[in-house]
Amino acid sequence: MTIQQTANTVLSAEGVRKSYGSKGNAQQVLNGIDLRVFEGEFVGIMGPSGSGKTTLLNTLATIDRATDGNIVINGNEISNLKDNQLSNIRRRHLGFIFQDYNLLDTLTVKENILLPVSLTKISTAQAETEFNTIAEILGIKELANKYPSEISGGQKQRTSAARALIHSPSLVFADEPTGALDSKAASNLLENLHEINQTRQVTIVMVTHDPLASSYCNRVVFLKDGTIFSELYRGEKTRESFFKDILDMQAVLGGGN
Amino acid sequence: MTTQKLVIRSMRKNIKMYYLYFFAMIFSISLYFIFSTLQNDQAIVNISEDSINFATAFQVAGILLIFITIVFTMYATNIFIRRRSQEIGLYQLIGLSKAWVARVLIAEHSILGLGALLIGMIVGVLFSRLFLLLFIKLIDLEVMVGLTFSTQAVIQTIAVFICLIAITSLQIILTVYRSTLLQLFQANNKNDHFVKQPSIVSGILGLTGLSLIGFGYYVSTLIVVHADLLLYLMLLVLASTITGTYLFFRTTISWILYVFRKRKNGNLGLYNSLSVAPLMHSMKGHANSLTLITTLSAMAITMISLSYSLYYSTEDDTRLAMPFDFAVENMQEEAAIISSRLEEEQIEFDYHQLDAIRFDGTWVEKNPNIDNRHSTFMVFSAEQMAKAGLDVEPPQDDEAIYYNSRTVIEGREISFPKDVQYAANDAENQLTVSKFKLENVMNYLFYGEQLLVSEETFERMRDNIQEDEHTEFLTFETFQLLDTEKSDTASDIFQTNVDSDEYISDFYSTYKGSFQAFGLLIFIAGFLGFVFLLSTGSILYFKQMTEAEQEKNHYRTLRQLGFQVNDIMKGIIRKQLFVYLIPLGIGLIHAAFALNVGSVLMAASMLTPIIISMAAYIVIYLMFTVVTIRYYKSIVTNAL
Repeated sequence: MTIQQTANTVLSAEGVRKSYGSKGNAQQVLNGIDLRVFEGEFVGIMGPSGSGKTTLLNTLATIDRATDGNIVINGNEISNLKDNQLSNIRRRHLGFIFQDYNLLDTLTVKENILLPVSLTKISTAQAETEFNTIAEILGIKELANKYPSEISGGQKQRTSAARALIHSPSLVFADEPTGALDSKAASNLLENLHEINQTRQVTIVMVTHDPLASSYCNRVVFLKDGTIFSELYRGEKTRESFFKDILDMQAVLGGGN
Repeated sequence: MTTQKLVIRSMRKNIKMYYLYFFAMIFSISLYFIFSTLQNDQAIVNISEDSINFATAFQVAGILLIFITIVFTMYATNIFIRRRSQEIGLYQLIGLSKAWVARVLIAEHSILGLGALLIGMIVGVLFSRLFLLLFIKLIDLEVMVGLTFSTQAVIQTIAVFICLIAITSLQIILTVYRSTLLQLFQANNKNDHFVKQPSIVSGILGLTGLSLIGFGYYVSTLIVVHADLLLYLMLLVLASTITGTYLFFRTTISWILYVFRKRKNGNLGLYNSLSVAPLMHSMKGHANSLTLITTLSAMAITMISLSYSLYYSTEDDTRLAMPFDFAVENMQEEAAIISSRLEEEQIEFDYHQLDAIRFDGTWVEKNPNIDNRHSTFMVFSAEQMAKAGLDVEPPQDDEAIYYNSRTVIEGREISFPKDVQYAANDAENQLTVSKFKLENVMNYLFYGEQLLVSEETFERMRDNIQEDEHTEFLTFETFQLLDTEKSDTASDIFQTNVDSDEYISDFYSTYKGSFQAFGLLIFIAGFLGFVFLLSTGSILYFKQMTEAEQEKNHYRTLRQLGFQVNDIMKGIIRKQLFVYLIPLGIGLIHAAFALNVGSVLMAASMLTPIIISMAAYIVIYLMFTVVTIRYYKSIVTNAL
């Protein structure tokens, strides 16, 4: 823990609130969330349906705006930024993995992966090297010229992960990345993410309802009714015992998903 | 919930989609209404009665218009049903019968159609006067036009409308009954023809497409020379360019884009990802409609340019065929009366007498493969012509210049020199025709092929030609009006004083007649061209709208990844330029070659009218492009 506290803060959120609807009929989804993510962390966000997991992720990822509170990404306070500035932050500093992959079906695997590199100053040669490294780790190098419609769900999600990593973002957001995968493909992907987190020191924030998925994290945050209910640290525990801890916590929270 | 409520509710929900369909319907109905109003307008009916051509032209154009309207409506309906396929699938999934679904859809369409009919007719009434005034102006008619409301037009429009409803209903029934649930759910996000790796075959087909177009162009240039094979060559050109165009859209473009993409080696960049990649996949599926659009565009541009050229150069063309305002042959008495009547009216004119010889002779070809041809000739003296005010140069002695404003159209052999032989009293029995001119030295109404020789040769011919029943020594009397403002009065004087059985016409009435005929032609061509243009533009627009909806999730993903609306729009604009400019560009090139052939028909220059027509076409197409880009912009902006 001491190591992490001395590390740089990549993301910090203070008193983040989010409500939907008009003033008279507002639906409070996030009720003041304080969260700090340090460089190299792999954080899981769990909680029952309607607890605000995805809203929190979207808000942190600058896709949605918070009603109240401060969010700082890599030293940039984002609450007051314009849409175009937010876009730039996303493009330069963030990577995304979505539940339904969100690959462009008109592009090949390689073209999809290299998309975030366009409009940047990265040279073609450099992009090529970067692609080779990441595709190697994720085991999709052979698929480079295939279209998304020709590959399996697991392969699509690894392509999506490669796209999230290609421009070396400070922070990767993953929204239920294993949601649409079978268990084998899911653990495959999670192994990959874990490895990348360890070897490349990529910071990952992952929303999931799957205890197995979150057992790959080194910290799991539990949400309930729009607030942080509890946190679990993996520490030196084995993944199996961490998995049990998560299951216990879920039982306390109730409502499984 | 009752069916009725459901219909109303689903219409309200689909209002955005309907709005597109609604406009398409209003648009076709009002254009047809305007057309039938004009067709039944008293002023136009009066002209039509004078000439069978007018009436036929209007009828043919009317049928063409109905045809375009039907194709266009079917197209719009098809796009519309496809966009709603998930909803149709859902109804069936919850257990409603296909008959019920078809009934609801037909009910919706009919309600909408009735609304469109009403609005379309109101729009039609408002605009028909504008078109009528335009028409009157074009053919230079002096009549007063009031705001006319034609019951006949209403009946005709309603008849066409009922046809449209019947056809769309049939289309709906067929679509609903033929499709399976699975298809319905996939229709919206299916990429019909996904190009993976173009095979060698498609590469070859792509090249074939290009070569077919090139071949068609090449053959079209031959038509100018081999006018005798006009029909065959024209069919060959049409077949080869249309097939070539189809292959071009179906394979060539995808193939070129594929090669381009291959060279990028995966690092395509945002702009190309939004233009090259989707185009490569969608081209194949759009090949049919793009071929249709390109062919229609080419036809419309050719049609408009040609008729505009005819209209534009009516005066010059008539002048080439009729160098004299009035001319009579061996009619001294009538000529004297005309002169005195013209003087009474204080119309100034130049009067001249010309001698001529009409005889039977033979064209003697230099090329032994071509048969000699017998013909009747008229020979004039160049010196006398020059005195009568024509700008002619006397040929050398014993040589002649052949004048004919219609040679090329008639497909005559036009390689000179060749000889004209005639029966003579001595050995000098032939003239060498050294060159030919695409105009006349005498009004075309007089019988005989016109030859111009020097005064000396003319005298000699008069002496030595063998006189038989075909040989005539003629005196022409020519009048050239100096005061063109009174042309119509003078024309009346002339017409009343020559025997109407002789079919002698004067410059002014021939010009007037052509002007009205070409005015009608340009009006009809312009109207149809306008309809072609709006329909093809709309079809492209509808297609792009559908594509924009389908790609909405792409834009959402791109925005999530941090690309700004402006960056995405740059890629989309690139794509739209391709989508609109490719059919337009190819259509223009096709039209240019067609016009090159058409230029044979016209003696006067066509450049100005062609440039004006093409520019108008391009401008309207670009307007569609702008509208499409704006639609995309709203989709991208609201994607996140």
